[in-house]
Amino acid sequence: MKPLYLFSSGRLERKNNTISFVSENEERKYIPVENLTEIYIFGEVDLNKRVLEFLTEKEITLHFFNYYGYYVGSYYPREHYNSSYVLTKQVEKYLNPTERLKIAKKFLIGATKNMLRNIKEYSEKIQQLSDFELSIESLFRKILDAEDIEQLMGIEANIRQTYYETFDLIVDTSNLSFEKRTKRPPENELNALISFGNSLLYTAVLSQIYQTHLDPRIGYLHTNNHRRFTLNLDIAEVFKPVLVDRTIFTLLNRKQITKKDFVKGMNGVFLAESGKKTFVQEFHNRLETSIYSEKLKRNVSYRSLIRIEVYKLERHIIDDQEYQPFVRK
Amino acid sequence: MYIIMAYDVNEKRVAKVLKIARKYLTWIQNSLLEGEITESKFERLKAELSKIIDESEDSVVFYKFGSEKLFQKEFMGEKLGPKLFM
Repeated sequence: MKPLYLFSSGRLERKNNTISFVSENEERKYIPVENLTEIYIFGEVDLNKRVLEFLTEKEITLHFFNYYGYYVGSYYPREHYNSSYVLTKQVEKYLNPTERLKIAKKFLIGATKNMLRNIKEYSEKIQQLSDFELSIESLFRKILDAEDIEQLMGIEANIRQTYYETFDLIVDTSNLSFEKRTKRPPENELNALISFGNSLLYTAVLSQIYQTHLDPRIGYLHTNNHRRFTLNLDIAEVFKPVLVDRTIFTLLNRKQITKKDFVKGMNGVFLAESGKKTFVQEFHNRLETSIYSEKLKRNVSYRSLIRIEVYKLERHIIDDQEYQPFVRK
Repeated sequence: MYIIMAYDVNEKRVAKVLKIARKYLTWIQNSLLEGEITESKFERLKAELSKIIDESEDSVVFYKFGSEKLFQKEFMGEKLGPKLFM
């Protein structure tokens, strides 16, 4: 089961009971629909309702990105695993402040442990990292004492800030700079990579949630604000250090992405098409990498591991088994 | 599982076979397709094909591999195969 990344411009059509892409020079390519889970659209693509109907039938999600690599939105076909039972349970847990906080803390615990795991990997070589490690560890202890979501979000912000400061030490930033985390728009190259990587992860998680009973609109750590998917943001927190940050370290330390892969525009710095493609390829490889799952007692890809994480949360929500976030060994 | 599919069927059924196969695999050359597929999807592909082909005169061959890494591809001319980017 594979995603498709559309960088070219053209038209997406339903043809002969499968999906086909007609590029600007009228060249037609067929995409095996039975093997497709999601489509990421970066180019200027036309599509019609017939395609959307077909994609709904085949349970395929579409994710749109604009010219700058910003996430625009998703086509999330109608729910096919409807379960009013799970939905009411999910809402019940959200409305109960104690239960909500409990789940939110779990996401943050997983995220922080995975961040620490990343730092530890480099701390033998880079001495200065041990100070950061200690300060994150002390912030980590505060998570358990947090009394409400606002406090928790505050701690999260502090942890992230400290964590992102280590990036300048971990990656070879000789020709890139990274002073502080900036968003909307990212002000330098490293921030552009983090923003792009995070949005890829958010959509990858969203596509996995689609395969379960959970409703992506109801998140626990991130506040629901009437229009946005938030559960995928929550689950993505756990995987950001494992999938996005490690992709960035690899790409920069191998010099696969350099200054020439970025463009300036809209008062910020963004990935150029070459950079986006390199990033997507490496990110995809990482999602396909398999690791041993304690839960299933066999090797699974990171992509499946995200799905397992959603199932674990579902179990927690229906009071079957307490959720324990994924922590990389 | 990764499969390579080759078929030799009566002219009348070539288009029909191709149409079915394209839903599951990537077209490489005339009568040749390949791609990653799950066991269950493979069974469905075979079931769909068996409704079309005439077993007395047509033949379809599948080469099965555990993964794409287990064989080598060598090209002369254009490099073809399933694509992640388009």
